[in-house]
Amino acid sequence: MSPKVTITHLSDLTPPSQERTWLTAPHPTLPIVATCSSDKTIRVYSLTNFTLLSTITGGHKRSVRTAAWKPHMTGESVLATGSFDATVGIWRRWDSYGQEDGAGMGMDSDDKQIPTDTLTAASNGTGTDTADREEDEEEWRFAVLLDGHDSEVKSVSWSASGMLLATCSRDKSIWIWEDLDDGDNNFETVAVMQEHGGDVKCVSWHPSEECLASGSYDDTIRLWREDLDDWGQVACIKGHGGTVWFLDWEGEETEGNWSGPIADSVSESELSSLQAQWRSQRALSGPRLLSCSDDRTVRVWRRQPKESQQTGALSSATTGIPSIIRPTGTDEVWEEDAVLPRAHELPVYAVAWSKRTGLVASAGADGRIALYEERFATREQEQEQQADSDAMDTTSGDVLRTEWVLVGVQDGAHGIYEINHVAWAKRADRRSGVEEEVLVSTADDGSVKVWTVTR
Amino acid sequence: MAEMQNSNPTILNAADLPTRLRSTATRKSEYGGIFTSALPLAPVDFESAPSSDSEDDNLLEEPIDEQEIYDLISSISDPEHPISLGELAVVSLPDIEIKPTLPDVPDSPLQTVTVLITPTITHCSLATVIGLGVRVRLEQSLPSRFRMDVRIKEGTHSTGDEVNKQLADKERVAAALENGALMGVIAKMMETCH
Repeated sequence: MSPKVTITHLSDLTPPSQERTWLTAPHPTLPIVATCSSDKTIRVYSLTNFTLLSTITGGHKRSVRTAAWKPHMTGESVLATGSFDATVGIWRRWDSYGQEDGAGMGMDSDDKQIPTDTLTAASNGTGTDTADREEDEEEWRFAVLLDGHDSEVKSVSWSASGMLLATCSRDKSIWIWEDLDDGDNNFETVAVMQEHGGDVKCVSWHPSEECLASGSYDDTIRLWREDLDDWGQVACIKGHGGTVWFLDWEGEETEGNWSGPIADSVSESELSSLQAQWRSQRALSGPRLLSCSDDRTVRVWRRQPKESQQTGALSSATTGIPSIIRPTGTDEVWEEDAVLPRAHELPVYAVAWSKRTGLVASAGADGRIALYEERFATREQEQEQQADSDAMDTTSGDVLRTEWVLVGVQDGAHGIYEINHVAWAKRADRRSGVEEEVLVSTADDGSVKVWTVTR
Repeated sequence: MAEMQNSNPTILNAADLPTRLRSTATRKSEYGGIFTSALPLAPVDFESAPSSDSEDDNLLEEPIDEQEIYDLISSISDPEHPISLGELAVVSLPDIEIKPTLPDVPDSPLQTVTVLITPTITHCSLATVIGLGVRVRLEQSLPSRFRMDVRIKEGTHSTGDEVNKQLADKERVAAALENGALMGVIAKMMETCH
């Protein structure tokens, strides 16, 4: 292992929750995060000074398991939260804060007894009365409760456009809701998908397309798209040997910002040709999908480009799929791109793929944070791999090979506690003015830690 | 509970159960026939067990061994019978193991407690509840540096894999702890614990 990547503890978010925290969702634009706690609240912290800004209380009757910020909002922040109480909450707040360092924002942070009707009353007043609105200015307003799941909600995700919200539950179903954005907080149920054979643990939208990925207790990953007004499954990926706990997508390529594999010992011209080849391959397959599982592994999945699906399906001897039911129409073939180097001794609960650097982070019950880097394989490695995988190499030989390298391990990142979530977040350092990327980890003891990762 | 799944369980004599004080008893008596309330009930003698309700995570704590784990869980009552899991041999000392969670990190304080459960009958639908009771008891009694691995002993249950998957699922266990009805059953099982 090369010591090229170092992970440094920057700060804890304080004060921490006194109970288990499940997940911390970074805001898409503001330097704030929302942490979901078993104490039925959501805590909003500043990434600028690492302190608690406000606590959202009163909406959920059981543990808050998950949260996601609606993208593309200006002037207002919208947060969706999912709870073990089987409901999804939508919360709104005017943006004026995060910049204010939270002065006076922690008002309700210790008051966990706010009755639900107070919040409901506030939401009813939305937009009807200026006085009401002024009063609400500093507050999180409870907008609506999405009711439909039969048991614990495990994960929520907004589509890239922010128009669709996906939610999933132990009831084995995935619901897609459309935010009608009509000023009345109305959501319409667009689809209910029930193909999974067990709890649906996570949902995650494609970074740009309306394509949803889900991971389940049934050990599969499934992909869903809309076809002629009907949402349906387009792929079922079997590969993990245990519950699929979390998913994340590879970032879309951003201009002038290479986040693909790196190479150590190749010339500049060779590197640029590798990168060009890489880009064209990416253009065909689209962003890859990252998954982690109870089986202790972290894997990367790639969609077969449509053109090569034909040949892929013909050599069905290796996939076990009789050619008569080979994919047609909207069906997609996803294949295992890589199994990352084994770094965990216990279930892996979270993975995060940096959109900025391409680094992958994973964490889990063993209390470890692991970091992985993708590299272009050297020619010799390429030949070795070719020899190893001759039999199963159903795709053409033009797939550019890479290898994943474990580049950093932080043992006991939260002391003796299990880590439930990791996420990459943007953080503006006020002194330097430089926007940096930090890793945020969330653990069983209620602690949330912020780390810098330098390459 | 409408009907008992196993109305005629095999029960071990409390005196034969492993404790730190008394070395192995030689007499092994089995009670057949219909269950009667005259049978010896828990409590077994746990004087040797240090107080387990102090929830401190002091890493300088006394080492915890298999006997101590056994003492914690053997006094849990079966959900069907007012008999302890120890007496029913649902849990037994040889089926408890403590080992380092991260063998490659010598100074890691993490330890994994593996408990294999032997249900009284192979199709007992209460196996999940018993397993959950054992897991909850350990989570509430042991310092946080312990990881629980509670499983049905191989070959002793018709749907063992299914039960094991549920018991190992942190999220399901956490949700179960918030389920009042289920926790009522578990609390009743633990009434006989110290």
